Amino acid sequence: MSLPGWVLRTPVLTGASVAAPWIAAVAVIGYRRQARVVGCIAALLSAIASTVLVWKAPEGESLYETLMLLFSCVTFCAIVLLPRRDSETGTIAGILLLLGATLLAYSTGNLLVLLGAWILSIIPFLWADWFRSRKWRPMVGLLSSSFAIALAIGFMVVRTGVCSISDLKGQSPGGVVAFILLIVAAIFRKGIIPAQAWVADAAESGPLVPTALLLNGHFGALLVVKLIVPLFPETDHLFPVLSYLAVATAVFVAIRALRENSPRRLLAFLALSQSACILSGLESRTAEGITGALVHWVVVTVSTVSLFGILRLLEVRFGENLSASKYLGLAEHAPRLAVSFAILGLALVGLPGTLGFCSEDLLIQGTLTTHPLTGLLLPMATAMNAVSFFRLFSRLFLGKRRTGFTVMADALPRERCILAGIVLFVVLGGLFPNATVIEHSSEVDEDIRTFDNLNRGTGYFGQQSSMQRPTPKPKRDVRRATAQGETRSSANTGTAGRYLPSSLGRSQGGFLAGRTAPQPCHSKIGRCRT
Amino acid sequence: MNAFEAILVFVVVAPGFVFALFALLWLLAWTPSERLLSWISGLTFSACVSGVATLVWKVASGSSITVSLGSWFAVGTYHFPLVLMVDRLSTPFLALAAVLSGLIGQFSATYLHRESGFLRFFLLLHLFAFGSLLAFAAGSFDLLAAGWELVGITSVLLIGFFHQRRAPVENGLYVFAVYRACDIGLLVGIFAMHHWAGTASFAGGLPILTGARAVIVCLLLLLAASGKAAQVPFSGWLPRAMEGPTPSSAVFYGAISIHAGAYLLLRAQPLLAQSRLASTLVILVGVTTAMHGTIVGRASADAKTSLAYATLTQVGIVFIEIGLGWRWLAVAHILGNATVRTMQYLRAPSMLHDYHQMHSAVGGQLSATGTQIEGMLPERVELWLYRWALDRGHLDTILERWVIAPLLEVSAYLSRHDRTRTSTTTVRPDRPVPVSVAGPAQRSD
Repeated sequence: MSLPGWVLRTPVLTGASVAAPWIAAVAVIGYRRQARVVGCIAALLSAIASTVLVWKAPEGESLYETLMLLFSCVTFCAIVLLPRRDSETGTIAGILLLLGATLLAYSTGNLLVLLGAWILSIIPFLWADWFRSRKWRPMVGLLSSSFAIALAIGFMVVRTGVCSISDLKGQSPGGVVAFILLIVAAIFRKGIIPAQAWVADAAESGPLVPTALLLNGHFGALLVVKLIVPLFPETDHLFPVLSYLAVATAVFVAIRALRENSPRRLLAFLALSQSACILSGLESRTAEGITGALVHWVVVTVSTVSLFGILRLLEVRFGENLSASKYLGLAEHAPRLAVSFAILGLALVGLPGTLGFCSEDLLIQGTLTTHPLTGLLLPMATAMNAVSFFRLFSRLFLGKRRTGFTVMADALPRERCILAGIVLFVVLGGLFPNATVIEHSSEVDEDIRTFDNLNRGTGYFGQQSSMQRPTPKPKRDVRRATAQGETRSSANTGTAGRYLPSSLGRSQGGFLAGRTAPQPCHSKIGRCRT
Repeated sequence: MNAFEAILVFVVVAPGFVFALFALLWLLAWTPSERLLSWISGLTFSACVSGVATLVWKVASGSSITVSLGSWFAVGTYHFPLVLMVDRLSTPFLALAAVLSGLIGQFSATYLHRESGFLRFFLLLHLFAFGSLLAFAAGSFDLLAAGWELVGITSVLLIGFFHQRRAPVENGLYVFAVYRACDIGLLVGIFAMHHWAGTASFAGGLPILTGARAVIVCLLLLLAASGKAAQVPFSGWLPRAMEGPTPSSAVFYGAISIHAGAYLLLRAQPLLAQSRLASTLVILVGVTTAMHGTIVGRASADAKTSLAYATLTQVGIVFIEIGLGWRWLAVAHILGNATVRTMQYLRAPSMLHDYHQMHSAVGGQLSATGTQIEGMLPERVELWLYRWALDRGHLDTILERWVIAPLLEVSAYLSRHDRTRTSTTTVRPDRPVPVSVAGPAQRSD
């Protein structure tokens, strides 16, 4: 039996993946029973639709579909991991609303829809009886980011009269004002310095798993990938500021985490510090940095949601006011939760054999190439994060066996299956990264060389880096892309280009290189400065 | 892939496979019996030792073995090469790792019988064997770093093996922090090789670097090697690492892990030879560590710590040999030191028993071995030196006062600032907390 053709059309699949969680959210609120089951089914449907979208996506244009698949799967795992106490109607409905909004933001090519999805995603976190934090900063952070992006998009739409993102590529709509507003929105949403404080507050005083999902939508990074880089090629000189801020955030938060004793805040700091590296990698504009950033996106999302999920399970089973100021010795009671926690945490900070090692390696390579001095701070931040994580693990799980429990539950069968699956993904992804995340690497060299032919510069290290070895060989995809006025092509970004707007993949070859003689740009869409 | 190449791959992968298999089965709620575990461990390490023996025979005939398994991952022109290589330098280390891991496995089957962490110990031992074999058989610094990090993390987890006590856990954290800090040198050094030489592979000869670039890379590698080999000023972690079970102390800090730093420098020795500054620094570090080790070791009160400092002294001398370019003397020194120290560590718990036996055999106390060299010093200097040695050269104090404390102070300041602002601006009262940590736990389902 074959499916009718219209089912497999991209708009239908995208609509299904977005609508399924929202319909399920309404159903959950109306039916008020079996909320977890309904939520799982909805997330699964979204994941299936996203899988088909990834499968159907043209070569090199599967970034957003992949992110949709990732977020659907992570949401599914989060719903399964939710303790029974938390899997009430409101929580599941909120998570499903967030899922739908996030998928809509990933999939849309329209500015106004993106704005709508952005606002929808934060609504549960503004509502007093839903996910709203008890502290003021999360609300201010989220509202400020929404206000900034609303202004930016409004400004762009009013100035150009166009809502389609693809039509605006390379045109710097709204000029520097819109650009700065978008940067402000990304800073507030991502928790970059000076707006870093709300993230820990949200994790500490809000519901843990929904907050983890909110943070791991990575809307700030999405804004960079979707709008800032492709739409504003003429503001290159301002863009590194975001990278500096991201590195500063990674280091600042890593130092801050060294003395933190609240497990929730500490995990939030680790997540924030590690996810700040994503922006740094994206800004590096080297194939290594961009691919590393994308792989890191996956690692951070999977690891932190799982870590927050495990922490919530511990809170529910052993008491809500866990503290890292003393040794709690929970490993004796929950050894499997302890091991899962350790593996996922160490993957987050780059344990060899996990996907985190690949992403860290690529990120460091890419960032050091472009910004050798600030890039040096990334491994330092990661080292501090590793120490903080190990301290948290020690305090939670090691130490004298605690007594006085009437029931001591380790991972339940459903949690065990999910955690084993996630650990397997992280480990197998690390062992076979080419086959899982960094796919189609065989095409990379050729793509990069073609791309380098368009964008040339000298590396900071005084010789040509991987992004800077010119080969005058033309590539068919480039011709096609430039002829069609497309920027979202794999023609010039290598592996990263398989997922990213091509403008992300360009290299300016570092600051010194930026001052070398400009090269002719063969693109019609302002892919490089001339 | 010919037979020798297949054997090389098998030798490296086998312990890792055993670790992964049993870890996954345990995660899915199946725990193997002690007998099954020790039997499979014995089988695995026997196979590895046989494989290494075959490789030694092949390499002794004058040819090195290189296996290229492609790239672990590749982006642009950057790729992480999966190249395994066995040459005359790596075979002794491979043999050491395989033989001693197997021996420790067999020893521990009895030593840790009915210990609650029996499975954990064996899993970590296999992961360690995998990491060390990977590091010693690596054909590139990238792969060496992967094995290096695995050795580090297993080392830390085994230090905290008796995790119900506070001291092992805290010492494990300290060691982890030192490892991570020093590993930055390895990571950045590898990055520098990639960018200056285009590769970090040494399968076809070391990356070609000259002048200041060679010096920088050597210094970065020296930082990493010093951290792993507990050289001054990072020596403070070594006595702390003695909190782990004796078998793991033997194989880690008597034999393999402590000499991994020396192996890294031996690999980079041709590069070191180009730079007088780097060679001199290696010698200086070695001399300082040897002096430090021998003085502090004399004031150590327990057997394992004395052994640790004795090992440290020898590793310091190995560093001197490497700095002087006496490569093969260093290898021979490492082999001898590792073997003897492993034996001494394993006998350490029975030391009193051994002494009693010896006293019984000779019919009284053993005769004195002669005047200690420190007795030749003036009394005031001797006392000062004794206090200095008791505090282990003040190295921990210096690190804590000048590195850790300022960092924590900054963190505490940020924390206070953060908390103050947060606590005074709460929007509404906290929701009631459902259950207290002091009260009985509740199941979630």
